[in-house]
Amino acid sequence: MSIKRNFFAGVDVGSLAAKSVILEDGEIFATGLVPSGVDSVESGLKALNLALETGGLIQEDLTYIVGTGYGRVSAPYANKAVTEITCHAKGANYLHPSVRTIIDMGGQDCKAIRIDQDGAVVDFAMNDKCAAGTGRFLEVMAGVFKVKLEDLGALALSATELVPMSSTCTVFAESETISLVARGEKPANILNGIHHAIANRISGLFARVGIASDVFFSGGVAKNTGMKTAIEEALKVTIVKPEIDPQLIGALGAAVLARSFSKKEGLWA
Amino acid sequence: MAKTALYEYPAELREEFEATEDIHFRDGSRATAADVWHFMTEIGPKRYPFAYTQKKYAGSRLSRDIHLPSAIKNHYLLLTMNDRINKSRENGAPVIFVQGGQSVDPYYAAGGIALRPASVGLWARGRHEGLGLNEEAIRSRNQREKANHAISFEACQTAGYANIQEDDLPVDMVAPFTCLRCSDISYGVEAHRHGPNKAVKLMNIDYPMRHQADKPWAVEYFARNLRRLTSEIGKRAGREVTDDDLTKEIKLHNEGRRLAIDTAELWWSADLPPTNGVDRRALYQMGGMEIHGDPSASLTVLRESNAYIRERVKRGIKAEGVVDKPIRLFVCGSCVFPNDFRIEEAGAIIVGQDNHWSDISTLVAEEGDPYQNLAHAILSYPYEQSIEKRAEWTIEQLKKSRADGVLFLYQWGCNTQSAIARMLCDTIKRDSGIPTMIIEQHEGGSEQSEQLLNRVNAFIEML
Amino acid sequence: MTVKTLEVIRKRLDERPDELRKARANGQKVVGWTGYNVPEEIIHALGFIPIRIAIGGDDRLVEVGGRYASSKNCVFIREIVGAFAENEDPYIQQTDVLAFDATCLQNFRAAEVIEYYFKRDVVVLGVPRNFYWEEGQEYFVNEANEFTRLLEERAGAKLDTVKLAASVALYNDIRKTLKSIYFFQAAKDNVISWEEVFDLIQAGDLLDKKEYLILLQETLIELQELQPDPVIEADGADGRIFISGSLIPRGDRKLIGIINAVGGRIVGDDLWTGILPHLDLDIKEISPAGVALGYLNRTPHAALPYLDLESDRRLKKLHELIDESKAQGVIYHTLRYCDPFTFKAKETKDVLAKSGIPLLEIHTEYAGSDYEAMRTRVEAFVEMIKIKAESAAEVAV
Repeated sequence: MSIKRNFFAGVDVGSLAAKSVILEDGEIFATGLVPSGVDSVESGLKALNLALETGGLIQEDLTYIVGTGYGRVSAPYANKAVTEITCHAKGANYLHPSVRTIIDMGGQDCKAIRIDQDGAVVDFAMNDKCAAGTGRFLEVMAGVFKVKLEDLGALALSATELVPMSSTCTVFAESETISLVARGEKPANILNGIHHAIANRISGLFARVGIASDVFFSGGVAKNTGMKTAIEEALKVTIVKPEIDPQLIGALGAAVLARSFSKKEGLWA
Repeated sequence: MAKTALYEYPAELREEFEATEDIHFRDGSRATAADVWHFMTEIGPKRYPFAYTQKKYAGSRLSRDIHLPSAIKNHYLLLTMNDRINKSRENGAPVIFVQGGQSVDPYYAAGGIALRPASVGLWARGRHEGLGLNEEAIRSRNQREKANHAISFEACQTAGYANIQEDDLPVDMVAPFTCLRCSDISYGVEAHRHGPNKAVKLMNIDYPMRHQADKPWAVEYFARNLRRLTSEIGKRAGREVTDDDLTKEIKLHNEGRRLAIDTAELWWSADLPPTNGVDRRALYQMGGMEIHGDPSASLTVLRESNAYIRERVKRGIKAEGVVDKPIRLFVCGSCVFPNDFRIEEAGAIIVGQDNHWSDISTLVAEEGDPYQNLAHAILSYPYEQSIEKRAEWTIEQLKKSRADGVLFLYQWGCNTQSAIARMLCDTIKRDSGIPTMIIEQHEGGSEQSEQLLNRVNAFIEML
Repeated sequence: MTVKTLEVIRKRLDERPDELRKARANGQKVVGWTGYNVPEEIIHALGFIPIRIAIGGDDRLVEVGGRYASSKNCVFIREIVGAFAENEDPYIQQTDVLAFDATCLQNFRAAEVIEYYFKRDVVVLGVPRNFYWEEGQEYFVNEANEFTRLLEERAGAKLDTVKLAASVALYNDIRKTLKSIYFFQAAKDNVISWEEVFDLIQAGDLLDKKEYLILLQETLIELQELQPDPVIEADGADGRIFISGSLIPRGDRKLIGIINAVGGRIVGDDLWTGILPHLDLDIKEISPAGVALGYLNRTPHAALPYLDLESDRRLKKLHELIDESKAQGVIYHTLRYCDPFTFKAKETKDVLAKSGIPLLEIHTEYAGSDYEAMRTRVEAFVEMIKIKAESAAEVAV
């Protein structure tokens, strides 16, 4: 007689990428990450199917699915929808139980999340309507300098000077950047200024929720080394080294919650 | 971008400059022209290298009109703000954070020192020595960012909070004329109640609105606000403030105001601009006697300069670097000012502004109850009247200054001047035919964006 | 379970613009007022029909208003200016005289803009920033007397003390009845929702005051019959939300809709368009001065600065109302460029945190573009307070 294996999935559909994590009991079994398209249901399914395929599973093998991210509101494949704030808290807690603060920088939002020892959200703050400090903002900057998004951070780290920059919003920062370019300022120095300005703005979110060690950096922007360094300097903290791709934390948290919800609902013992 | 060398005053100027007058301070001390020269050529570049930048885009460059003594003396007084304010505080004078565009007679009458946001910024800046232009800009932006975190990103009035709460600047009181030209002021005062610096005394000197100068009860209310103000400052200065103290101070400040009006009229009457825009602005502002944190010092420099301007106008001497027939711009709005250097490069010059000039050009009656007189004068500031009245006064200034166009500038987040901008410009165009342009500035700092300057340049070309 | 009188009120609101038109045709004048400290009883006692100007939620009007004022004015003010520019709102169309106050300085600027561009007859009441000083109160009394004089000129009649006493009594009864009704919405197994009471309060801005009182009294009787013994208590994890911050006028239901959509339950508010202005108004003397001071000495509006955090009556009232409603969290609504509330968001959060009350700031405008972003924040907040309440309940067990 074979023992029934329990799989739980989390699907996080963000504005730039859709992510999926499958847990088998308490362990990460498979993951999937695809760029988001215009159809959020399709994007979520693509990420989920990629993880299923990687793990050699089909959707019917899953005991429970939790949807999160902006796509959660229209995720027919999910048993339940939970916000990415709650999911990031659970995901970071799952990977690093000592984490008490999360900085999440995704495509269109930036979040400061304080959590307790159980991974429950104690407080959180998010950027206002302005996109400063988001993946979209950095995409705009990459466009201005005609470099790849993933190369921005390294370029900023090669700067010889820190150029003062505003960080009020994407539009203002873009126009300021163009002024500096016109005046012959080096791209690396400008980018250094931009990264520090964003880090300063992020530190404002922590003025609202407070900060406690350990600190985890999640979301797509967490892969930007220049941003990581600038945030460490602005907040005077050391960021925990992530054990998995930091972009997957929301989906991971959703999978953790899927496991917990399904247990509460008596789907497994 | 390669780093540029710091500006150096030409050594051959020394003899000429050292022959000019001393600066007299309120405490009876003085600085000779030789002292000023030594500071500006030896000490200043080491302590405050940012001020000596030659960077083309910096609006805070030193004036290059080196034969005008007030230009160098004004910069000296600005760069020594930290030293002088600290000394005055040690001698018992409380420092009070006030608002731009208001007079400061009652603060000094009570034994205090009144500093508006820009002056408090200069004092704070003076405490951080050895910084280059970029480093200084980053320092002040970081402070401002912290203040924005504590208040809001939509707050324009953060200078007080940034310096007093985030940088421990030892200001004793925050007591501006509230509601004057800006709706953020009273919130800016209130914000201090949640800051770490609990020692600072907070007060709103409540400026009533709507036909205020015509309402006896509004004048009375403001006069009583002023009495409370002088009493609170007096407590901190360790003295009782009499009506005579205020009358004397009003007379002294009236002298400054009259001198500024005279200087402006001379300047405006000249065929060729007798100074550049930076120096003109400083001279007019000296009449408000707030700019240096020492009314006596401002007055001595203004007196001396007035004679120089008279002579230049008489002899038809044009300021260095200014074109012969520049387009004459008058600036309206508040708190922001276009980069004079860039304006002059484009063939124009700024000939005046309504901000500050409104209070500097309002004389105070000297006979009778000084509080009533002062209150009535303050509530009569043309800048604070109905749109029609403000426009009427502005047009009068435009005619006097022979302005070709009006630039209305306001800071991003400024609810008040932004709401007035269109009404005022529409009325000016309707009643005088003078072209106007409204521009919003997004960020303060030493450099303005090319986008802003591009708009200004296009306006100049149009004129 | 529905409260039948609410249907009657909705119907009367539909009929009201026509009614106003007819009243004006018969020679009555309508005063459109806005401002936290406008003493409405004086307007009423002079024989005017008072109509509150408070509309929101229309991004198009905001855009129109911004052309006359500026994009840096709060969206509420811009919408008001836009509404006067278009003159299509059935209530704004019926106003003969406008009465604005200077509690919020942007309101004062709106009065100037409306007067300048749309040539409306505007009476402005000055309001002191130092409202707690004796000098400030004296100034306000003088301003109230001047305000009365200007309105008397427009009414063509002097203010009659007997009529003022009657207006004060009527308004006092309205306030008292509203307070009784308000209790029911926060109760366990409530028969009326906060949203219904909120609409009911705002109906009073437009309806005839005498009729409004009768309708309120009928509503209260109905509620008492439906729920004889209402009790306010926190119901485990029902996500009890208190709304604070910038006003939410008629036409703007975005945030309220989102809170409901994500499973939160609003149980209290201290909004200027909600219950707050109807609380603690004590008129000690039947005169313009007495009425004005009654207004000024209520819980102050956030636009009036108060310089000592510890003794701030507004924050004390907020605490008191949160306690009464047994709310589990506060959603602090700030409109774009609404400085009085936006500038105090962090401070309010810090103050409430000391009492263990979480606060979420929602900064928004009338455009629908931030709907999903708002929804995520509100949903996460409701999740957070529900999880917290569940954990507390588990510990208690």
